[in-house]
Amino acid sequence: MARTLEDRTVLVIGAGSLGGPAALVLAGAGVGRLVLVDDALTNSADLSAQPALAEVDLGRPRAAALAAQLTRRFPAVVAEPVEAHFGGASAARLVAAADVVVDASSEPAVAFAANDAAVAAGKPFVHGGVLQLSAQVLSVLPGETGCLRCLFERPPAPEDLPAGLAAGLLGPLAGLAGALMGHEALHLLQGRPAAYAGRLLAYGARAGQGRLVPVRRRAGCEACGGAPAKEEASP
Amino acid sequence: MTASDVEAARFARQLGLAAVGEAGLARIRGSSVHVVGAGPVAGPALLALVQAGVGILYLDDGADVGPFDARTWLCTPAQVGQPRVLAAMEALRAASSLTTVRLHATGTRSSAALVCAETQGTATLASERERTAGVAHVVALASDEGGAVISIPPGAPCIRCASRPGASTQPRGGMAAAIGNLGALELLLLIVGAGAGASEGRRVELRDGRLDATPTLRRPGCDCHVVY
Repeated sequence: MARTLEDRTVLVIGAGSLGGPAALVLAGAGVGRLVLVDDALTNSADLSAQPALAEVDLGRPRAAALAAQLTRRFPAVVAEPVEAHFGGASAARLVAAADVVVDASSEPAVAFAANDAAVAAGKPFVHGGVLQLSAQVLSVLPGETGCLRCLFERPPAPEDLPAGLAAGLLGPLAGLAGALMGHEALHLLQGRPAAYAGRLLAYGARAGQGRLVPVRRRAGCEACGGAPAKEEASP
Repeated sequence: MTASDVEAARFARQLGLAAVGEAGLARIRGSSVHVVGAGPVAGPALLALVQAGVGILYLDDGADVGPFDARTWLCTPAQVGQPRVLAAMEALRAASSLTTVRLHATGTRSSAALVCAETQGTATLASERERTAGVAHVVALASDEGGAVISIPPGAPCIRCASRPGASTQPRGGMAAAIGNLGALELLLLIVGAGAGASEGRRVELRDGRLDATPTLRRPGCDCHVVY
């Protein structure tokens, strides 16, 4: 018997400007269970770019606040907050329990950890990122498409990244990317063609121009290069 | 903490953008925006505009909250049957006390507008009202797997020049939210004067995962260059 969206679990890593809209899209479409991983407290700047949160959430753990706001709007969804940094021993367990993994962390090191865990578990993976007036979205089908590490090999050094709020962000650009990530995850859950499977959308808001960059499997990729094809990986 | 400290903390991310900065934030804070619609496209756009710090937001919607209107991100199932504009107002005021949220009334003057009507015909009527009043505006139209967002600064080609023929279909999944956010993004760029759409007008199209802008061109015979 075919599984419906109500029977599905999506792991959303990050409850900020990307995770909020992605989770709202998934809950609105009827996904049954959302696991929301985030270790931050809601701060004032979050209220400029996280559509699910309100002023009443200031100071609350962001994962719990997002979970509460989701269930207020969509009572049928089970929104489960995990107030922790994604990684370590719990990463594989969280990924194993999900049907699709969505990386909305905005942290390169976390994005690579999520990519590696999803590829190792054979779980479809949606990644998104926003920096200043640029956004990107990519989906990874383990064993079929290239992964984040095929494209970038390793996360950039912390000193090469703008720090925290200084990086700059316009909320609706993150909202656009997050909504596309949620939409992409829905397609993956429903077995429909995914727009960003094996191709990275890179959108520059100022010029209004988007590029779709093919992401092919790279021989020697530390995450997926030596992995067997998806069918062979199944028990 | 002073009012300016509160605003600096709230809008730190926008202040960190070279394209916005203090001057751009002042333009956003000084803007008054009329938003047509409070449905699944307009809802995410309204939240984005409130969170970005628009000074005054005028809501304009005639529907009641329906059983699927939680997808607007503004309404809850407990509000079904209430005027949607009132449910939206409650959610937006809870999201930010730094924006004034009011009902739109005939004669209200705004500095910019966002049209998120659910049909092309209604969008065209609303857009033409804004254009003939000389109001910079953006039109957001979603369809099943994509949509289009058209920026119309004063003097730019009108909605009729920028429209493409095509069947109107209901947006699926996250498409309404994607187009709503894209609409809010284009409007903020227009308000701060960044991007080609702010000066000449452009159409950003989302189709099959592709996102691309093209400048809008005046159709031969259209009289939309006439300034009223």
